[in-house]
Amino acid sequence: MVPNEKTDVLVIGAGPAGSMTAKWAAKSGSRVLMLEKRQEIGSPVRCGEGMSKDWLGEVGIKPGRWINVEVEGARIYSPSEKVFEINEKHAGNEVGYVVERDEFDKQLAIDAANAGVEVRLKSAAVALLKENGRIVGARVKEFGETHEIRAPITIGADGFESQIGRWAGISTNIAMRDMDTCLQYRMTNVGCDVRYCDFYLGKVAPGGYVWVFPKGEGLANVGIGVQVSQVQNLADARTYLDRWIAAHPEYAKGKKIDMVGGGVSISAPLKQTVTDGLMLVGDAARMIDPLTGGGIANGCIAGKICGTVATEAVTAGDPSKEFLQRYEKGWRARLEEKLYRNWLAKEKLVSLSDETFDKIIEVLAGVKLEKLNVHNILKAVHTKYPEVTKEFEAFL
Amino acid sequence: MRRPRWTAEVRPVPNKKSLHIESSGQLCIYCGACVGICPLNCIYLDETRITFDEKVCTRCEVCVKACPVGAIEIG
Repeated sequence: MVPNEKTDVLVIGAGPAGSMTAKWAAKSGSRVLMLEKRQEIGSPVRCGEGMSKDWLGEVGIKPGRWINVEVEGARIYSPSEKVFEINEKHAGNEVGYVVERDEFDKQLAIDAANAGVEVRLKSAAVALLKENGRIVGARVKEFGETHEIRAPITIGADGFESQIGRWAGISTNIAMRDMDTCLQYRMTNVGCDVRYCDFYLGKVAPGGYVWVFPKGEGLANVGIGVQVSQVQNLADARTYLDRWIAAHPEYAKGKKIDMVGGGVSISAPLKQTVTDGLMLVGDAARMIDPLTGGGIANGCIAGKICGTVATEAVTAGDPSKEFLQRYEKGWRARLEEKLYRNWLAKEKLVSLSDETFDKIIEVLAGVKLEKLNVHNILKAVHTKYPEVTKEFEAFL
Repeated sequence: MRRPRWTAEVRPVPNKKSLHIESSGQLCIYCGACVGICPLNCIYLDETRITFDEKVCTRCEVCVKACPVGAIEIG
């Protein structure tokens, strides 16, 4: 029998959002326990491994050996393969890294552990403990043995297929149109340019895109995301990806050495991410950027706020959902406007025809935009193809 | 909390289509996409085993579309 335990903050899930939350809660003075259901943090990798870098300083992540390739820019390919290049001049410091995601997750867990967090492997939450309608911890299965861990604050950082939110009665249900189903091969011997992350739009990946993220020495992550509601004839993401690879000789000659899949939410932000005694963070809180499908930056930024508020709640002795509004308001003030704006843009993009994509990318490839934003893009397209921008008047 | 009671390969319920999740690893890559999208929260992923609750499942087929490798069938 494992004895029951008590802690100040219980973090469920040791991905980037979980580790970041745990670290900041510990740094601000809480006793923190972080659970990971697997035997290894960061593995298996379920990620395209591309990320921006401008936010790392804000949450206290230092560059490390998890950086694989530093890219100079991104290239957007239209269906007829016209190319628009986004470089550092456009995107400021937004252009980023291709990373070793397992190393990255481990580094964040190390940072958390060094800040005083106790990390438990092979420990899965199997139920939440409730008292008078408040979450007061979790029942945890650790190496096959079940015991209870009580904590005034519990954090659900259990990823896309989050159970914690559902168990706590927070609606995290996701519609088919709000999810992309993804598959990726790591391929060797491919002809990609290590200076760029490449994105291919249009019917090759309805409601999503094909990505090629270079990992150096002929190695690349070649993946696809397809909006579940747009999947046709019961084809799956693998069918779409294989079809795309077959049509591109520089990738068709490559050899697959790894394969990962998963779901990515492309929804508007959740209406509620806290309840009495509980906060959700990262993919579990549907914080993934609906336009890019990237979740690491938002999860980490929200994690810092979440960890800080967790300690404030413990110190104040008030884990009520009213108190936890500090987190709800904090992460929304920092992230929600961009999430919402990108969600609107995504809603528009998934409805565009291949012809429209071609026209837009053609125009963008031909003009020099000072600063890349939706308004400037639309203005440029409007001068050449006014009929294309008709639908976008709400943005202008 | 509800836990899985039926494995994916068991008997169909009368008047319901049968749902088959290939979870032996021949197709399934244990990515959890089906778990995340299930509107009734009745699919469970436990390392290398996927199970679903036959009684709760309404055969809405959302998981079939969400599976990136076509490992779920409804017949």
